[in-house]
Amino acid sequence: MSEETQLGKIEISPTAIATITAQAVLQSYGVVGMAPKHLGDELMTALGDAAHRGVQVRVDGDHIQIDLYVVVEYGTRISSVAHSIMNVVRYNVERALGVQVAQVNVHVQGLHVSNSDV
Amino acid sequence: MTETQVRDPSLSSPGPGRLLAINGQGLKQLIKASLAWLKSNQQAINALNVFPVPDGDTGTNMLLTMESAWAEVDKTPADRVGQVARAIAHGALMGARGNSGVILSQLWRGFARSLDDKETLTAADLAPALQEGSQTAYKGVIKPVEGTILTVAREVAEACADDTGDDDLAAILERLVARGRESVARTPTLLPILKQAGVVDSGGQGYLVILEGMLRHLCGEPVTVGAIAAAMPAVEISEAEIDAGDVSLGYAYDVQCLVVGEDLDVDRMCADISAMGRSALIVGDAKTVKVHVHVRDYMAVFDYVHQCGRVREASTEDMAAQYQDYVAARSQREASAERIFQVQPGQVATVAVAPGEGLSRVFQSLGVGAIVPGGQTMNPSTEQFLKVVEQLPTDKVLILPNNGNVVLAAQQAADLAPAGKHIVVVPTKTVPQGIAAQLAFNAQSTLEANVAAMEHAAHHIQTGEVTTATRDVEMNGVQVKQGRFIGLLNDMLSTSGDSIEDVVWGLLEQMGTADREIITLYYGNGVQRAEAEALAQAIRERYPSQEIEIVEGGQPHYFYILSTE
Repeated sequence: MSEETQLGKIEISPTAIATITAQAVLQSYGVVGMAPKHLGDELMTALGDAAHRGVQVRVDGDHIQIDLYVVVEYGTRISSVAHSIMNVVRYNVERALGVQVAQVNVHVQGLHVSNSDV
Repeated sequence: MTETQVRDPSLSSPGPGRLLAINGQGLKQLIKASLAWLKSNQQAINALNVFPVPDGDTGTNMLLTMESAWAEVDKTPADRVGQVARAIAHGALMGARGNSGVILSQLWRGFARSLDDKETLTAADLAPALQEGSQTAYKGVIKPVEGTILTVAREVAEACADDTGDDDLAAILERLVARGRESVARTPTLLPILKQAGVVDSGGQGYLVILEGMLRHLCGEPVTVGAIAAAMPAVEISEAEIDAGDVSLGYAYDVQCLVVGEDLDVDRMCADISAMGRSALIVGDAKTVKVHVHVRDYMAVFDYVHQCGRVREASTEDMAAQYQDYVAARSQREASAERIFQVQPGQVATVAVAPGEGLSRVFQSLGVGAIVPGGQTMNPSTEQFLKVVEQLPTDKVLILPNNGNVVLAAQQAADLAPAGKHIVVVPTKTVPQGIAAQLAFNAQSTLEANVAAMEHAAHHIQTGEVTTATRDVEMNGVQVKQGRFIGLLNDMLSTSGDSIEDVVWGLLEQMGTADREIITLYYGNGVQRAEAEALAQAIRERYPSQEIEIVEGGQPHYFYILSTE
C-alpha cells in the first residue's frame, strides 16, 4: 500500500506488515508456533523468510487482510486465544502504520501438547 | 454473588491457631473470597489497562474467568483439595476471557495438576503447586513478556519455594502477598509501555488481588467494597443483591409455581430443578410442592413440572428490569456515600468535600485520603466528617471544606476529634481553592507545614462561580432579580447578567484574568461537554495568551466554576 505526500511517496510492503504481525503473534499468549498454510508450502517457507511463517498479508488498495496460521497450546480456551490474537495484531499494525486493518483471520492449524494433563 | 464477612469451620480459626492444612471445602471458601475481592477491585484493575483494544478490560476478564471457576467449584461436593482444584481449573478453562483470563486458567491448571488427588493442602504442597502453575503458564507462549501476570506468578512461586518460615499457611500467604505486591510494583521497570502509561500491570494486579482475597478471608477481613467503604461490621446480603448476582450471570427469570400431585418426589424435583438455575427453593410434601428458582429459560422449568403433576399459580418475572432499578439505586447510594482511599498509616491525610462526580474524581486523582460528598445545598454533617476521620488509618487529618457553608461543620468536627486524632481545617471556601490546596499537600510532611503551604496555595487562586439567583437581592452593590444569572467572586456575589456568557466575562475581568496564566473551567451536571467547549473557545479568543483547561465537574446548581492562577 502507498501514500502520496508533498515530498514523495510512502510505500509499505506486505512483508513489512507481516513482520509487525509476526512479532505481535509471537507475544500472544497461547500461541506456541506458526504453521505453514499447506504442507506443500513447508519447503518454500523454510527456504524463504522464517520470520513470516504462517502469516499471509493481502493488500488491495486500502484493504488489508491478514491471515494467520497458528499452533495453540493444548488446554487453553482456543476461542479466547484467537480473539486475543486478533486484537493484539490489529492494535499493533494499526498503531505502527496508522491505517485500518480490514480483517484478521486466525486459522488454528494444530494444538501442541506440552503438558500431559490430569 | 456478593460475599459477606466469611469465617467458617472448615478452616482453622484465624488468630492464635495455626492453619496447617486446607481441605477441599477450605479451598472452596478461599476461592469464594477471592472472587468477591476481585469483584470489589474489578474497576480499579480495569483502570490499569494500557491497550485501548476491545476486550481489554483485564479486571472484568479475570472476574468472568473466576466466576466460571466458582460456578464449577460450587457444584462439586468434593472434599479432597485435589478434586476442588481440578474443578477450579476446569471452570477457569471453560470460562477464560481475554489474555489475562487464559493465563489465569493455565496457572490453575498447573496448580491442580500438582495437587493431583491430595486430600489436603499443606505448606509442603503449596510451593510445588505454585511452581507448576507458573511453569504451565509460561509454556503457553513463545516469547513470554516480562512485567506481566507471568512475572508476578513466577516470583510469588519462587518466594514460596524459598520460604523458610513456619508451616502456618495463613502466615505463608501473608508473606506471599507482600512479595506479590513488590513484584506488581516492579512491573513498570520491566515493561516500558507500563512506565509510559504510569501504571502497574493489570493482570499482575489481578493475580495479586486473588491472593489478597484469600488472605483477607483467613484474617476475617471483609472482601466486599460495600463492607470496606462503609466499614460496616457485616453486610447483610439483601434479596435484591442475590437476585442481582443471578441476573448478572444470565439467570434473569424468576419462576414460581405450585405443583400438586399424588406421589411427588420432592428430593428428586429439588435436585432436578436446582440443576436448571440458581437460588432454587423447593419445599413441600408428596401432595404439594412449592417451586421457586432463577433460570435462563423458564419454559424448561414448566416443561419439567408439568410431567410431575398439575401446576398452579405459575408465575414468571423478568428480573432484568428489577436489576436495572437495583443498579441505578446502588449507584445513587454510592454517589452519596463517603469514600475512603488508600492512605499510608501514620501519614498526614486529607478529607475533601466534593460536589459532583467529576470533582470527586479530580480530588481522588490528586491523592486525597477520603471524599465527603456535599456542597452548597447539601452540606455534609459534622458526623460525616468524624466518621471518615475515624476510618482513616492515621492520626493526622486535614479537612478541605471547599464551600463557605461547610467550614463550620468541619470546624466542629475538628473540635470533637476523637481521642488520639488531630484534625485541622484548611478553610477553603471554593472548590478551586481546595484543589490548589490539595496540590500543595505533601503526605510526608508535618501537619503544620502542610497547613501553611496549603493555605498559601489556596490564597493565590481566584474563583468564579456561575449560577442563578434564587430570589431578588441586593448585595455588595449588585442588584439581582430572581432567576437571573449571577457570578460569585471568591464566594461573594459580584456580578449578574442575562446570559451565562455575560456573567463569565464579568467574572473573568474581576478575577484579573489578563495577568494570569491558567484558566480552568469546571462544568456542572446540567452542562454538555460541547457547550463547555464552545465557551472555552470563546474565552480563548478573548484571552489568547492564557491556557484553558476544561474539566467535567458534575456539580449541581453551578453551571460553571472558574479558576485562574
